[in-house]
Amino acid sequence: MTLPTLMTSLIDGLNVAPKLVSTAPSAAFYVAVFAYGIATIFYASAYIQCPDWMKKSAKWILVAAFVCHGIDIGLRGVEGVHPGTSVRESIGFLSWVVVGGFLIFLRGQAMAMVGALVAPATMAMLIAARLSPTGGPVTGLSSLGRIHIALATGGVAIFALATAVSIAYLVHEKNLKNKKFDGVLFKQGAALETMDQISAKLVLVGFPLFTVAMVLGVLWVTRRGVFTLKIEHVLSLIIWMLFGYLIGTRKIHGTRGRRAAWLTISGFLFSMMVVAVYFIRRVWG
Amino acid sequence: MASEVFVLGLSWQKTPVSVREKISFTDDELREKLTELCQMTIAELMVISTCNRVEIYGVTTNTSESLVNATSFLRQHLSEMKHISIEELSQYLYEKHGRDAVEHIFSVSSALDSLVLGETQILGQIKSAYGLANNETTIGPLLGRCMEHSFKTAKRVRTETDVSRGAANISSVAVELANKVFGSLAGRNVLIVGAGKMSALAARHLRASGCGVITVLNRSEGKAVALANEVDGIAKPWSELEDQLLSSDVVICSTGSKEPILKVKSLKRAMKKRRHKPLTLIDIAVPRDVEAKAADLDGVYLFDVDDLQNVVAENIKERHRSSKDALLIVKEETQSYIDWLGEKKVVPTIRALRNYFHQVAKNEAILAQKKLVSAQGTEEQNAIVDNLTERLVNKLLHPAMKALKDQKKENVEELIQAADKLFDLENKSESIDTETKDIEAQNIEGNPMVIHTLRKKST
Repeated sequence: MTLPTLMTSLIDGLNVAPKLVSTAPSAAFYVAVFAYGIATIFYASAYIQCPDWMKKSAKWILVAAFVCHGIDIGLRGVEGVHPGTSVRESIGFLSWVVVGGFLIFLRGQAMAMVGALVAPATMAMLIAARLSPTGGPVTGLSSLGRIHIALATGGVAIFALATAVSIAYLVHEKNLKNKKFDGVLFKQGAALETMDQISAKLVLVGFPLFTVAMVLGVLWVTRRGVFTLKIEHVLSLIIWMLFGYLIGTRKIHGTRGRRAAWLTISGFLFSMMVVAVYFIRRVWG
Repeated sequence: MASEVFVLGLSWQKTPVSVREKISFTDDELREKLTELCQMTIAELMVISTCNRVEIYGVTTNTSESLVNATSFLRQHLSEMKHISIEELSQYLYEKHGRDAVEHIFSVSSALDSLVLGETQILGQIKSAYGLANNETTIGPLLGRCMEHSFKTAKRVRTETDVSRGAANISSVAVELANKVFGSLAGRNVLIVGAGKMSALAARHLRASGCGVITVLNRSEGKAVALANEVDGIAKPWSELEDQLLSSDVVICSTGSKEPILKVKSLKRAMKKRRHKPLTLIDIAVPRDVEAKAADLDGVYLFDVDDLQNVVAENIKERHRSSKDALLIVKEETQSYIDWLGEKKVVPTIRALRNYFHQVAKNEAILAQKKLVSAQGTEEQNAIVDNLTERLVNKLLHPAMKALKDQKKENVEELIQAADKLFDLENKSESIDTETKDIEAQNIEGNPMVIHTLRKKST
C-alpha cells in the first residue's frame, strides 16, 4: 500500500461512522510489545550493573517500538478502527503519544528512569488496549467528539509524561536528601532542577490541550441531548482544577520541587480514574 | 642492538617527599639541562617533574650496551646535579625499558599510576613537559610517537572507562553536589561564608566551573576582599549574611565559629522569601556552621564535610573498579606502539637491502651492455646474458653464503631456518619449476635469450 493510499484510507476512516470496534492485533503490535519489553530492560540497565551498550541502545529500541506501534495504529485506522472509535483505541493511541512525547521532549536528557517508567507503562496500556474484551462503539461520535477525544488523549499523554518525570524527581530528591552517594541513582539521572523544569513545561503544554478538550467535550455532550452529570465529568473537573492550581501556584507562590511533583502525580492519577471509568463502562457495560 | 625506549624515575609510591623535592626540576632548569642530558647513548629524552614524580623518558641509540650506558650516565648526572649520593638515589630509582617502559608511560599519562587514580592534571603536565622537550629538540620520532600514543591512550581511558569519573577532592565534590541539584552552575550565584583555606579552594573550583556571581562574607573584611579579588567576586559585610541567602543558589560555609551561623529559623525565613528556590548548602566547617535540621527544609540540600568525604571515597572506589578496564586499554595501546616500533625497525634494513641489490644489478647491467655492443652473433650475446645472470646471483648471494659457511655449528641451524623463511625456499623451488615449464610449453616467440637463460637455470 502506497503512502497516499494509506493517508486517504486513514482520512476516510475518520470521516465514516465507525462500524468496527475491533480488529485482530497486527504483527506490528507483537513486535512493538516485544520491543517495549526490551526497552524497559535496557532502560532499567542504567540502574544495575549491565554492559554500557544496553544503556546506550535503549533509546533506539524504544524508537523501533514506537514506529511499530505507529504502524499498528495506522493499519487499524485503514480498517476503520481509529483512536476515536472506542476507549480501547484511545488508550492504545494515548500510550503511543506518551512515547512520542518522551522521545521528543526529553531527548538529550539523562532520563533513563523516565524511560524505565514509560516503556513498561506503554506496553501495559497497549496490551490492555488490544487484548481486552471488545466494547461497543462510541455512540453519536461527531467531528467535535473526535477532536475532543484526540485533544484529551494528547493532554493526558503529556500529563503522563510529566508524572513520570515527577516520579523520577521524587526518587532522586529522596536519594539526595538521604545522602545515598553509593547508589546508581546518585550517579545517573538529570539534575533535580532540570527535572522540575521539564515537568513544569510539560504541564504547561498539556493543560491548554486538556482545557480545550474539556470545553469541546461539554459542547459535544450538550449537543447530543440532555446533559447528565457523570463521575467522569467531576473527575475531569478535579484534574483541570489540580493542574490549573499547580500552574497558578508555581507562578504566584513559586511552588516547585517535591510539592509540585506530588500535585502532578495526583492530577495524573485522577486522569487515570477517568480512563478507567470509560474503560470499565465500555467493556463491561 | 636497536634503539629502545626507557624510563628512569622515582614516584610517590616509594619515594618520600623530602627526596622528591630534592630531585625535582623547574622548567628553567630543564630548558638548561635537557640538551646536556641528551647525549652519549641517548638519542631522545624528556623529563616529567611533578610534585608526585620525577621521570626521565628516553630512547637509546642503536648501539650495544647503549641502555646500560644511558641509565648509568643519567644516574651519575642526577646525583651530581641534585647533590645526592648515587647510593641514596638508587634506593628510590626504578628503571624500565622496552615494553615495560612504554606501558609505564601510557599508565602514567592515563593517571593510573597517580596518587589520586584518574586525576586529570598529570596529562597536562606531561603534555607541557613534552612541549618543552620538543622546543629543546630532544624529542625524536620514536619518543615523539610514543608520547602521541600515550595522549591517545589517556583519552581512550578517560572516555571509555569511569576511571576519571566523579570528583576526587572535597572542593570538586562541592561542585559535583551542586550540579546534582542545578544541572549546571552556569549563572548560579555562590555565597562563600568564611575566607579560610578551604573556602578559597572551593571558591576557585566554583569559579572554574563557570558559576555566576561569587560573594564572599567574612568577619574580617580584609580577608573577604582578598579572596573576592582572587576569584573575581564581590566582598560584602558580615551583617548582610541573611540578605545574601535570598539571592544565592549555593552557599559554602567554612568559618571557625563554635556555634552554627545559619540556623533553621533564618533559613526557613529565607526559603519563604526566595519562593522555595532550591538552595545547596555545603558546610565544610568543623564544628559545623549550619544547623543539621536545616536539611529537612523543603528545597534545602545540606551537605557537611562527612558527606563530601563519603562522596570522595565512593568516587575513588568506583575509579578503582574501572581501573581494570583502563589497564586493558593501556596494554592494547602498548601492543599497538610495539607493533609500530617493530615495523619501524625493519624499514632501514629493507631500504639498505634494496639499495644494495639495485646497485649491484646496475653495475652488472652496465658491464653487460658494454660487452653486448661488441658482441657478434646470437651465441655470444647469449653467453653475455648467461654470464650476467651468473654474476648477479653470485654477487647477491655472496654475503649470505659467506655468513652461512662462517657460522659456528650451533648457529647454523638458526641461519638455515632464517634463509628458508626469508626466501621461502620450499615453495619457491616448486614454483620456479612450474614457471619454467609454463614458459617452455607456451613456446614463446619472444626473446630467445630469456628462454635460454631459464632453461639453463632450471637445469
